[in-house]
Amino acid sequence: MIRLYHIVKSYGDRDALRDISLHIQKGEMVYITGPSGAGKSTLLKMVYGAEHPTSGKLLIGGVDVSKMKHAELPSLRRNMGVVFQDFKLLPSRSVAQNVAMALEVIGASAESIRRRVPAVLNIVGLKGREDDLAGVLSGGEKQRVAIARAIVNDPAMLLADEPTGNLDGAMAVEVMEILQAINLRGTTVLVATHDVGLMDRFPYRKLRFVDGRLVVSPTKGSRS
Amino acid sequence: MTAPFQRALRGLKEHTYLAAVATGVIAAVLVLLGVYALVVVNLQAALSGWQEDVHVSAYFNADVSAADQLTAQATIATRTEVASVELVTAPMAAAWMKERVPEVGPLLVELGDSALPASLEVSLRPASTSPAAMDGFAASLSATGQFAEIDYGREWVERAAAFLATLSLLGGVLGIILVVAALFLVGNTIHLVVYARRDELEILRLVGATESYIVTPFLIEGFLEGLVASAFALAILQFVHHGVVLRLHETVPIAFGGQDLAFLPASILFGLVATGITIGILAGWVAVRRFLARLA
Repeated sequence: MIRLYHIVKSYGDRDALRDISLHIQKGEMVYITGPSGAGKSTLLKMVYGAEHPTSGKLLIGGVDVSKMKHAELPSLRRNMGVVFQDFKLLPSRSVAQNVAMALEVIGASAESIRRRVPAVLNIVGLKGREDDLAGVLSGGEKQRVAIARAIVNDPAMLLADEPTGNLDGAMAVEVMEILQAINLRGTTVLVATHDVGLMDRFPYRKLRFVDGRLVVSPTKGSRS
Repeated sequence: MTAPFQRALRGLKEHTYLAAVATGVIAAVLVLLGVYALVVVNLQAALSGWQEDVHVSAYFNADVSAADQLTAQATIATRTEVASVELVTAPMAAAWMKERVPEVGPLLVELGDSALPASLEVSLRPASTSPAAMDGFAASLSATGQFAEIDYGREWVERAAAFLATLSLLGGVLGIILVVAALFLVGNTIHLVVYARRDELEILRLVGATESYIVTPFLIEGFLEGLVASAFALAILQFVHHGVVLRLHETVPIAFGGQDLAFLPASILFGLVATGITIGILAGWVAVRRFLARLA
């Protein structure tokens, strides 16, 4: 699904990623972990095309993302969902409107949007909350809306950058359970986190980064 | 798919204040341009009237007899460049002066009816009012030796034409400066709108929106703001024209030859609307492109 070959990412004199090679299989759930500044977010940004590697090759489904032109990024992003620590929701819009944004950009019909949005809100445990304003939700609810928006298109891949960073313990567990459920439906899930407790509770393969280098990469893609 | 127009309306609804500011700025610029155009259009009309009304006053020498004066009038009337010739005899000139300036009446009585010279007041056809044509006409009258002075206000007409030409040039420069300033101001205002919607743009990017999907509503918003601003500007100009300028004109009617001040012609009104819409669209396009480039 995702293959990196000798990826280097430099910002001036500083190397954010150094000679990273790895492989993430389709349907796998993987943690990208390590201390702050280790390169976790940089790696995710490369996967969703917000950053280009300085050198090396990054293949997603056989397509070389590292050489992708700006105008080609929408087609890449329509096939993946992205979730952030700060949720990135529009507080003045309803839950349904926030989720529907991902469907509107691909030209989904109004009927399809009316059908898909409640269904996906049901998956993340927000059934019946369509009309609530996103701004009045709790942190955990906001993250669920963000996840709903990320998966409403049935993407092949879900990227989550510190998805539990702003949540307390119980809410973080709920969010991880949702991500786990999404993975069980066949979606490849990459979670950048440094929450050791959650990784122990939901054990999946860990890609540990330190100072831009991949230091631990068990090859087995199952719970360990 | 939510239509771009619907998304534009939603954007305007969610950011009404900033949209109103952008509209106000465009309207203000259009009013300034329109007021300037009103001034130039009416000055041009006035000058055109004055130019058409150009006539030559040819003052007879004192020794030219009344019969010769009539002969001269008849001769000049046959010339192709002449529209009409009126003979103003010395008594008629004195009577005119007494009527217009009563204070000089006793003096004129004392000096007698021949105090003022007789003259021919010659109106020329419009095609013959160019400075060169008038020079030639005046020279031909001088050559008869019957006239002491020929006055045709050439210098004044030339000065007025030069003034209007300068005014038009200044108007062009001022117009360009105003439009550029408007683009800058409206661009910055719409940049604020774009900045206020940065989260939305960022999310749209993340969920795979194409650039045209993101930019199109902003162009529509710019179009609508320009259109509304144009309507406001035209209403204000109409108000200024009727409420202020016409009242002023009633106070000093002679300055405009007794004619009503004209409102802007349809071509200029259309131009103002087109300018407003163009400013709105361009400013929206520049602002959102700048922001997207930074996001990229």
